[in-house]
Amino acid sequence: MQIIIDGKKIDAVYGDTILETCRKADIYIPTLCYHEAFGGQGRCRLCMVELEKEGQKKMVAACTYPITEKIEVRTSTPLIKKTRRNIIMLLYKRAPNSLLLQKLFREYECQDNSLKEDPAERCILCNLCVQACQEIGSNAISLIMRGTDKRVASPYDEASEACTGCGACALICPTAAIEMVEEGNKRSIWNKTFELLACERCGKLYTTKEQWEFTAKKNNACASDRQLCESCRKKAVAEKIKAYQAAEH
Amino acid sequence: MAVDINQIQEKIHVIIYAYPGEKRYILAMMQDLQKICNYLPREGLELIAEHTGVAFSEIYSLATFYKAFSLVPRGKYNIKVCDGTACHIKGSAVIIDQVFNSLGIKPGETTEDGLFSLETVNCLGACAIAPVLMVNEKIYPKVSSSGLLDIIKAYGGHVHEDGKS
Repeated sequence: MQIIIDGKKIDAVYGDTILETCRKADIYIPTLCYHEAFGGQGRCRLCMVELEKEGQKKMVAACTYPITEKIEVRTSTPLIKKTRRNIIMLLYKRAPNSLLLQKLFREYECQDNSLKEDPAERCILCNLCVQACQEIGSNAISLIMRGTDKRVASPYDEASEACTGCGACALICPTAAIEMVEEGNKRSIWNKTFELLACERCGKLYTTKEQWEFTAKKNNACASDRQLCESCRKKAVAEKIKAYQAAEH
Repeated sequence: MAVDINQIQEKIHVIIYAYPGEKRYILAMMQDLQKICNYLPREGLELIAEHTGVAFSEIYSLATFYKAFSLVPRGKYNIKVCDGTACHIKGSAVIIDQVFNSLGIKPGETTEDGLFSLETVNCLGACAIAPVLMVNEKIYPKVSSSGLLDIIKAYGGHVHEDGKS
């Protein structure tokens, strides 16, 4: 089906969100809580766009609005720009210690104000870490409490039995709010300390023991599988293919 | 009311397993659990996670979300002071202060002897008799400062000398 985005006719797939359609058509919409792996969450509200349907205008979050009918979308009207500036200002006041938010705050030319802030805070509660943890299957962290007390934590703020120290949460965090400290062969995250394993080939410390065991179990790995880091694993696979090819000739 | 978890572990097991192990019964399990324990003990939450197959972190997330659930033991007498619009205007803040002056607890806290705990609620739906407070399930209408002291005394509370009666 065809919809109109910023005055241009764009082909869209029925049921796709506005954001997905715009990304495909190379139309820029800023996002913070969106990740292709999980789809739209509608949390950060940065992707707000103006929508015109049957002569009526409204604002929607592009990441969660599915295209099911003929609509006209505008991605950067004065109202949208003002709204985004406001959202960035609020997110900055929530997480003033985040370098990304500091940068956006300047980029969007936001005005500082007297809203109370926690100078050490970096988390904007985008929920990506929780999603990542869920997707991996550990389910070690979640959003707890509500309202102004809401935060990401492991149950009872204790070292969670479920956490394998994989660090996916820290990796996906857009504002670098999750602290993962590596010292020697130890990694600390979410109040838990893990022992790091070395790649059998290059000796690089690349994963935790718990994560290796978790993944091995999940993938039905056999005991003969070697502990290899990402690049060595690639090399090992390439060598295997080469060996097959050599055997065929 | 401090409940010895070991003594009622079996009871906890029974009330949780009274429901099918499905996600949609989690809140009902928590309500029943809170009813018999007066709070949500960790053991109970772990059992719910085990029974429903839902991750413990998610259960914890739910339990902390709802204000009606408490993760720490509440007092034998739970004082709920209404702080809705009508009660607020009628001076519920004074009552909350008065509870602090006489029992030394703020909303969400429990006295050391485990007798009283205090919480505020947003509306008890009894605005005509504001300001209202509830002690467990009993409703006290049009509470005054001196009336509050009488209520606390009626439940065996020792009112501090510095309590402005």
